[in-house]
Amino acid sequence: MIWKEKYMVGVPLIDQQHEELFSRVTAFVETLRSLKPWDQKLEKVNETLEFMKGYVVTHFADEEAYQAAIGYPHYQDHRKIHQRMVAYVVAVSEEYENEGFKEELMQQFGGKLMAWLINHVLADDQKIAEYARSKGVN
Amino acid sequence: MKRELLTSFSNAASQTFKLLLDLDVITDPVQSQENNDKKEYLENINIVIEITGDLNGEVIYSFPKDTTLEMVKMMSGMDFKEIDEFVKSALGEIANIISGNALSSLSQAQLICDIRPPKIIEDLTFTVSEGCSIYRTKVKTSIGDVELNLQTTQAVG
Repeated sequence: MIWKEKYMVGVPLIDQQHEELFSRVTAFVETLRSLKPWDQKLEKVNETLEFMKGYVVTHFADEEAYQAAIGYPHYQDHRKIHQRMVAYVVAVSEEYENEGFKEELMQQFGGKLMAWLINHVLADDQKIAEYARSKGVN
Repeated sequence: MKRELLTSFSNAASQTFKLLLDLDVITDPVQSQENNDKKEYLENINIVIEITGDLNGEVIYSFPKDTTLEMVKMMSGMDFKEIDEFVKSALGEIANIISGNALSSLSQAQLICDIRPPKIIEDLTFTVSEGCSIYRTKVKTSIGDVELNLQTTQAVG
């Protein structure tokens, strides 16, 4: 995944976290897609997955705090989008552990995560940026 | 009214392709299909999204395989040579995003609906049943054309 200028929202903390998230998801996808046998990439996949589970929660919390601070009117709707994604990540992680770390589930997770993240940053998060610009806040 | 419904989905597809993939899109006018018409989507990846609420039915997005692989390449920056679980899941999420955006615009016209998770079917063939209405349009891009079918099982408008 290539980080693009148009992904930036103009808030340094959020942009920095988005860039880190893109970097981690890219590393995750590259590991998933490498031609090595699954058992040889399992450790790195699991390590990246664990990091992302924590980082997504931290990032969402920081982003929600920023929205609250600037009085973003769609704060609750945005929070629900975050909560649904966290619930999905938790559910997939549990299924993955319970069913013995199967590759198919992680490939499905990687594909959805990539498309979701790009859309979320370009569509939902840009609305926060538009509101902040319209109110002259940063 | 049903033509307008499908137009909401094709408009949402155009906006999503532009936003996520920087693709410019031309959309064909919506056409209706008669009973017993048969349509085959072989060599395609088909995403079926069930709609419930004020409108009951399903939207079927039909992506050519080459278009699918190119879309996932554009998002990931990586080459994909075959349709696998990663690719199907990414495409399912794109269809999910398009459908969510379409329903959001329909809700502004007081039509309240929900969607179920996408079902992914390769090589789909379907026939228009008695009593069903099907509307079709094509979203044309530089990397291939995506067909959208709306099948409703309940009269709207």
